[in-house]
Amino acid sequence: MSQLRSAPGATWIILALIVAACGSSGQTGQPTPSSNSTASPNPTSKPSPAETVTINFWHNYNEDSPENEVLVNKLIPQFEDTHPGIKVVPLTIPYPDFRRKLITSISGGNAPDVIRIDATWVPEFADMGALVALDQEMSEFAALKATVYPGPLGSNLWKDHYYGLPLDTNTKVWIYNDSLYSAAGISSAPATIGDLDGLCANLKKANPDSYMLGLESTQGWVMLPWIWSSGGEITDEAITTASGYLNGPKTVGAYETLLRLYDQGCIAPLILGDGVDAFSGIGQGLYASLDNGPWTYPIVAGAHPELKLTAALFPAGAAGSIDIVGGQDVNVLTQSAHKAEALEFVRFLVGSDFQLAMGGVGVIPVRQDLDVSSLVASQPYMSVFFDQLKTARARLAHPGWSDMDRILTDAGQLILRHEQSPQAALDDAATKINEILGD
Amino acid sequence: MSGRLSRGGLVPYLFVLPGLAVLGVWLVFPLVSALQMSLHDWDIVPGSKSPFVGLDHYAQLVSDPLLLSTLANTVAYVIVTVAGQLALGLAAALGLESVRRGRVLLRTLYFVPVVTSWVVAALMFRYLFNSSSAGMVNHLLVSVLGIVGRPVPWLNEAGTAFIAIFALGIWKGVGFAMVLFIAALQAIPEELYDAAAIDGASRRRAIRSVTLPLLAPTIVMTAVMLTIGAFQVFIPVALITGGGPVHRTEVILTYLYDVAFRQLDFGYAGAISFALAGLVFAISQIQLRFMRQSALAG
Amino acid sequence: MRKDFVPRRQTRRPRLGLVAVYAALVLGVAVTVFPLLYMASTSLKDQVYVLEVPPQLLPTNPTLDNFGAAWTSNHFSRYFLNSSIVALVTMALVLLLGSMMAHGLARYRFRGHRLVRALILFFMVMPAMSLLVPQFVLATRLGLLDSLAGVAIVHIAQGLPLATFILYGFMIGLPRELYEAALVDGAGAWRMYRSIALPLCRPALATVAILAFLGSWDEYVWALTIINSADQRTLPVGIAAFQGVHTSNWGLIFAASMIAVTPVIVLFALLQRHVIRGLTAGALKG
Repeated sequence: MSQLRSAPGATWIILALIVAACGSSGQTGQPTPSSNSTASPNPTSKPSPAETVTINFWHNYNEDSPENEVLVNKLIPQFEDTHPGIKVVPLTIPYPDFRRKLITSISGGNAPDVIRIDATWVPEFADMGALVALDQEMSEFAALKATVYPGPLGSNLWKDHYYGLPLDTNTKVWIYNDSLYSAAGISSAPATIGDLDGLCANLKKANPDSYMLGLESTQGWVMLPWIWSSGGEITDEAITTASGYLNGPKTVGAYETLLRLYDQGCIAPLILGDGVDAFSGIGQGLYASLDNGPWTYPIVAGAHPELKLTAALFPAGAAGSIDIVGGQDVNVLTQSAHKAEALEFVRFLVGSDFQLAMGGVGVIPVRQDLDVSSLVASQPYMSVFFDQLKTARARLAHPGWSDMDRILTDAGQLILRHEQSPQAALDDAATKINEILGD
Repeated sequence: MSGRLSRGGLVPYLFVLPGLAVLGVWLVFPLVSALQMSLHDWDIVPGSKSPFVGLDHYAQLVSDPLLLSTLANTVAYVIVTVAGQLALGLAAALGLESVRRGRVLLRTLYFVPVVTSWVVAALMFRYLFNSSSAGMVNHLLVSVLGIVGRPVPWLNEAGTAFIAIFALGIWKGVGFAMVLFIAALQAIPEELYDAAAIDGASRRRAIRSVTLPLLAPTIVMTAVMLTIGAFQVFIPVALITGGGPVHRTEVILTYLYDVAFRQLDFGYAGAISFALAGLVFAISQIQLRFMRQSALAG
Repeated sequence: MRKDFVPRRQTRRPRLGLVAVYAALVLGVAVTVFPLLYMASTSLKDQVYVLEVPPQLLPTNPTLDNFGAAWTSNHFSRYFLNSSIVALVTMALVLLLGSMMAHGLARYRFRGHRLVRALILFFMVMPAMSLLVPQFVLATRLGLLDSLAGVAIVHIAQGLPLATFILYGFMIGLPRELYEAALVDGAGAWRMYRSIALPLCRPALATVAILAFLGSWDEYVWALTIINSADQRTLPVGIAAFQGVHTSNWGLIFAASMIAVTPVIVLFALLQRHVIRGLTAGALKG
């Protein structure tokens, strides 16, 4: 190893590399990370801090997604044009990393100004004091409130204050492969949960190696439509106890139905955690139906452009057809040094321009007062989603939701694996959830 | 005699200080912070109150059933993968040393997993062991070799998921152990073999009385290094099963990660860290003491 | 100096034994290399074929689209540069600081040397992850958030204990007489380090260099934590980021992985003699 013979030479190389490393980071050691920019095309115009306020906006739109493209190329420039003096720096953070990044940045005193986060996280971050109560800071909040869907709005409510506004929403519907259904002699989507046994039997006869339904896990996101449609609940309305609700007869009945369908081979083993994913599955004809969101269409079309998928309302149970509301909320961080400007950006995000522009790329707007006919015209399946949204419900707005979801997920797994009966598993789960609620 | 010379005055400090400064700032100071966190109910938002709880988190360690099961899983991983790497590494080394042609090529190929990134390797194994008939391992077992009747639900059951995880751990490290053993084998003087041959020893006898005893220090040293590394297994579990199903494949570090970043309980996370460090330290000391004693005895 | 562990005898080694050994070795290599081959094959598959039943070892309608998509998306080419810079800087500074520390510990008997050695042993076993949060808070306060320097400094700190341990093991075995002779010649402390200790430790330095480089190249958790912007990501972080929210495009992930892994493998294949010699010499002595 002769390169170590000359220490001074090596030292220079080392120094050069260090300088290169520091230089390429774009970070010169200032406390505010305002020079981070993943997307702005020209860093040449850097106005002095006194003139321009920089707002850091963290989201998890996939980098090469149409949403991100619209955001970066159309919407943010539009905002900056109409708001000279405010510069918005967006940052994509992949979903699996988002939570950890947010937590570490808050604890490092380095939080962004505006974030778009999973609606279920809002109560938790509100509870730790990280979010600004928008109903107190925005004078027009009451008016804004009235324009958005109540389900998505409700996810921002914690201890009588609203800590954010819904930014986009989505729900799931029954998506199925019409040709597989016809081949099994079925002409339409199942109207009720009770119809599923018959549907499954017919599909199995035509195609024994396939499954009626590809469900991805036993998380709340997947299970709640079944629970709610059957008239079950996780907790009482005030979210104080799970006893009698999570382990009540209607919820237990929903799980018993799922277990029966699973044992009959109607639901794919994917629900246990691993296997062929939902979209590859329906694309290959391995799964005949899914309960999934609007992203299904572009994802499946990407790999199987010739496959036609049909959307229908979730099969109704005793309480009707109730699917689950997902989506993201937009929030302002209490650590932000530019709250006024951040609020301006929030107004823009829930404004009709933004909502409609995003709607054009498959994101469901949160405002009820918008004319969505053009959206539906270009993507006909959207009308089913708008219909489902009318009755869709949001998950529990509680800081402990992620722990509760864990408990629910585990219970579902134990049930499907025949390690506990539905009643016993849900009894245990209710006890554990009560502990969380008691805090 | 080797050894140190003078006290040296200021000079030794000048040599040691730069490295020590880095260690001090980036390891010792965070260590002290972590210790401090472990004694409080630490709140992540700066400026808010974090009540002092003393040794509560440490007491929590023994009464946490999930932690104990993750410890068991981790120990299982350590034992199986270290034993596997040692055994297969030794076998490969012995095999390579007894052939002439193609030695370099084979050695290079065996070492390739070692230079493959853990992230890539974990993703590869997760894909290979897909739990449906779309998985290649299932395809080989069911259709090609006909050993198994139906596809194995690899990652959906803890037992089989561990097979995939252990396989990855062993696969990744065999080449490293092999290379160390090859070097150690080459260091054994020929004369010893000649002497054994003169004594009429068979090949197997020669291995037993010459090769293995002289390899013993290397085996133990390798075992210590592999053990320390194996206790810190994270990526294989995080990327293959995520700790599931139902937390049954969790190992200590994935659990630590969950406590810190999902449950936001940095205090308890700190306690777990110190406990793990203490455990690994104790085990490595035991292994080293064993080596010293066997060296004395042999 | 090729040694044959089989004791020499009059009779020739039975052929069957050799054939059996070769068969076993080749089988072992096949098992070792198979996952990588399958990954290569999958990287050539379109998403349609990625989870098909039954899976094919040879891709149907192979395509290079995934490679194009991987290289151009998400600043992937940048990740290479980032990882290289961080790994090289880490390697250089670990070598420099580690050898200096090892030399100081091995050659001099100064107050506190036991404490330093204990510290090094302790940090060799302390799991790096437990220091993650305090390190993050510290890095942020020092303005190192989202910078390659921030990634590198912790990689260096993580690599120093083992490096120092290995080099110390080597240096402590160096005979005193060499230094004494140099002293007589009027050599200063730095000369002794640079001209005696370092050259004699070359094999161990090679070991340390390789371990430090690979350790940094491969590191995932810290890089993931300290880096926000996509263009600052290192390779492992970049590859993991290809996993989607709703679905995983395995073809794309493995194309990215192939791009990441192939240069390292090729480099290793070219330098393998040096790498292996360096790895074993230093490790064995230690």
